[in-house]
Amino acid sequence: MRGIYIHVPFCVKKCDYCDFYSLPTSPGFRQSYVQALLREAEAHAGMSFKTLYLGGGTPSLLGAGLLSDLIRGLRHRLNMSDVVEATIEVNPESATPELLGAAGDSGINRVSIGVQSLDDSELKAVGRIHTASQALETVKLVKHLGFKSISADIIIGLPGQTWQTLSRSLETMVDSGIEHISLYCLSLEEGTLLAKNPPADLPSDDMQAELFQRASGFLEVHDYIHYEVSNFALEGHQCRHNLNYWRGGEYLGLGPAAASHLAGRRFRNRADLAAYLEKPAELTEDSEELSPKDKAAEEAMLRLRLLVEGVDVCELMEKFGRCNTLALARRLELMVSQGQLVADGFRYRLPPSRVLTSNAILAEVVEADNPV
Amino acid sequence: MDNIRNFCIIAHIDHGKSTLADRMLELTGVIHTTDNKQVLDSMALERERGITIKAKAVRMPYRSRNGDDYILNLIDTPGHVDFNYEVSRSLKACEGAILLVDASQGVEAQTIANAYLAIDAGLEIIQVINKIDLPGAMVDECRRQLEDMLGLPGKDALLISAKTGAGVPELLEAIVSRVLPPRGNAAEPLQCLVFDSYYDAYRGVIPHIRVFSGSLRRGDHIMVKSTSRVFDVDEVGYFEPQLTPCEQLTAGEVGYVGATIREVGDIHVGDTIISPEHSETTAIAGSRRSQPMVFCGIYPVNSNDFPKLTLALEKFQLNDSSVSFEKESSAALGHGYRLGFMGMLHMEITIERLKREYGQELIATMPSVLYKVFTSDGEFIMIDNPSRFPAPNAIDRIEEPIIRAQIIVPTDLVGPCMELSESKRGTMVSLEYPDSRRTLLTYDLPLAEIITGYYDKLKSVSRGYASMDYDFAGYRPGDLVKVDVLVKGNQTDALSFISVRDGAIARARVLIHKLRKVIPRHLFEIPLQAAIGGKVIAREDIAPIKKDVLAKCYGGDITRKRKLLEKQKEGKKRMKMVGSVEVPQEAFLLLLKMEDE
Repeated sequence: MRGIYIHVPFCVKKCDYCDFYSLPTSPGFRQSYVQALLREAEAHAGMSFKTLYLGGGTPSLLGAGLLSDLIRGLRHRLNMSDVVEATIEVNPESATPELLGAAGDSGINRVSIGVQSLDDSELKAVGRIHTASQALETVKLVKHLGFKSISADIIIGLPGQTWQTLSRSLETMVDSGIEHISLYCLSLEEGTLLAKNPPADLPSDDMQAELFQRASGFLEVHDYIHYEVSNFALEGHQCRHNLNYWRGGEYLGLGPAAASHLAGRRFRNRADLAAYLEKPAELTEDSEELSPKDKAAEEAMLRLRLLVEGVDVCELMEKFGRCNTLALARRLELMVSQGQLVADGFRYRLPPSRVLTSNAILAEVVEADNPV
Repeated sequence: MDNIRNFCIIAHIDHGKSTLADRMLELTGVIHTTDNKQVLDSMALERERGITIKAKAVRMPYRSRNGDDYILNLIDTPGHVDFNYEVSRSLKACEGAILLVDASQGVEAQTIANAYLAIDAGLEIIQVINKIDLPGAMVDECRRQLEDMLGLPGKDALLISAKTGAGVPELLEAIVSRVLPPRGNAAEPLQCLVFDSYYDAYRGVIPHIRVFSGSLRRGDHIMVKSTSRVFDVDEVGYFEPQLTPCEQLTAGEVGYVGATIREVGDIHVGDTIISPEHSETTAIAGSRRSQPMVFCGIYPVNSNDFPKLTLALEKFQLNDSSVSFEKESSAALGHGYRLGFMGMLHMEITIERLKREYGQELIATMPSVLYKVFTSDGEFIMIDNPSRFPAPNAIDRIEEPIIRAQIIVPTDLVGPCMELSESKRGTMVSLEYPDSRRTLLTYDLPLAEIITGYYDKLKSVSRGYASMDYDFAGYRPGDLVKVDVLVKGNQTDALSFISVRDGAIARARVLIHKLRKVIPRHLFEIPLQAAIGGKVIAREDIAPIKKDVLAKCYGGDITRKRKLLEKQKEGKKRMKMVGSVEVPQEAFLLLLKMEDE
């Protein structure tokens, strides 16, 4: 299983909390960017993929024409005939009927909407440029156009957020038929506007934890499966592209700052749009190839984020070899005895009570090579 | 032997000892530079703190004005009161001492202490007033102080500027004419004093020696008097200041001996080296060896490093035999050592050196003095570690060490210094005016107060002008209690402290409050308590952590995710486990820091 991720680093305006790579750009610029993406794709000509994910930034800013060009161009250069899931991230303000129409026509079957909140003052507080009603319009439009799945992002810990405002947002979203919800916790990332001027009414970590817990309880009651630490979905609507990340699968990332995992190597393109336009296929940096032992530990760490399926040590042994997995297996077993993990045969999972405090557990797993 | 002069320089910190040594080395042609490079202060730490910690020696050839050739051996001495032991060892190897006083500062408390050591040792004292080129030089004032405070004929003091070199040639002449040549017979059996040593990874222990009688050459056998161990001499030589091999060392000379001494325990500073053919030769009467006054626990950050720490301490003791150490173990910190020091600076420098020169990652516990504890059943025990105190009901009374401090301070700043001393439970013994602008305060103070920041505070309330020296003055009863700290119910021995009963609750509250800030939140609640006996006197709780999760959208950037987790894990490795609680190292330093506020 291999996925392809395409980074679209444009935004009308950067949100106050965002430290992703994105820049404001002109339409002419966007056209050259699509050309550059296709040139980078050229370097991997013939490679086949099962999932496609257009993320950002704001992919919806490409507009209908460029989006169609991009996907057509990709199909031309890469083997996309087996793609079963193709997602585009959209922001309410740029998710026009034309754009969504073009997306559907190009074979995109999943739309992820940057809703973040359905409370206008919360949206405003972090510099989002759309309103709650715009977001709901977008949901309606996407529904109407018949996409297979709709996902929405929700941020926990927005300034002024309370369980009252959060539960209202969630309720409306559940009612509007959104099948997949990503719950992210707001964090103050270095260099962001929010970190420089944190508002006084920013919920504390403890408050975030409480909001998250209540949100996850609410969603579970409404049949959403908490399948990954931050992700909830109705049965059959889990995001296959993201599942591939957590399962240690391969993926190709196109665009500046995009990460890839191919043939056992993890690498990333430099976050430099100007350089990318010039030499899109020559910006690789931070290349890393872990030893099989570390690789096994990394995959265990990733798979433990999958709360339902967890990690099966036998599968890891098959993949990485017995001797590279033995120490890890012993450590996982020890962690079960300490109550940090739960086991079901050779399958290990995070106990539900530890999801929000899982870092310590995952950190332990990553270092499985060290003597116990 | 008649043309050898062995001497040292006694001076207060910053009074220009190292600069004078450099000037002498230049004038005698041992070094040829004129940059201020302070040859004797070779340890980085000495340079940084501007003080000389380790005694060393250097040999200078000198042709006097009347055309005779001499060998001058300058034996370096440390200037701080904590290093008295080393001073007296160095003095033992000399016949003369230069008493160096900064013309702009005058005689300081530490100069007095060391000058008395030299006078007591029967050394010829050459008084020298330095920095006469400075605009603030008070030559007459200094002369008067030398007379009033030390009973020396101040009018005879030589005037120099070590910086410009003025007067230094005259000083060299004075050394030759006034310091006696060493006595001793080269024909008698060998007798040498080991006054310093260091460990060379390739050559083993290199003792620095003063030969008192006999001679020593390559191929000889030597015997360490205290252990009767015998070694073959493979090299003798002297310091220029680097090791320079020579034919032989004879009575009166100062140098080193290489004898493939592999084990650091085989020879100690202060030992006497003799010839195995004359094993009846007596040991040289030991230099004044004071007892350690300040104690603290030293633990490796990583428990697996305990053997490394052991080795480092053994090597260190070879360099500085005044540090005592014995094994101890702490429930919180694992296996470590209880170290004894001459004073606070000695402690700080030792710990710093163990870290820097021996590459040890260490946790040092709160320093303690040696308490005399009288138990209810009529016995008494000496205790250097608060955690070993008996239960309150088993204690009849406690006595603590008292020191008599002499403090010299500008008269207009005497008020704050007295206030400070009173607040530290001091009792004034006398108040004198050695000159028109300074006051000499004498106070009896509990040593425990001195080691918890008194000196730093004295420096700060006197704007850096006060100088202090002290002597042990006996034991005195104190109304003292041991305060225990419990982390989630586990008594944490390394955090126990002794306090005056009156201030115990206040100190305990501050400590507990600070601990709460330093110990990270865990998955469970952590009660922090301070208690005297079974009675809790302070409590705060650390609430459990609720959120420690990567729930942010990092897309496919798995590497970043993994690195965040690894960083988190790395932080944990530097913690010590107290029961199930991870306590960061800085928690064990809180007690020390508390005193600074």
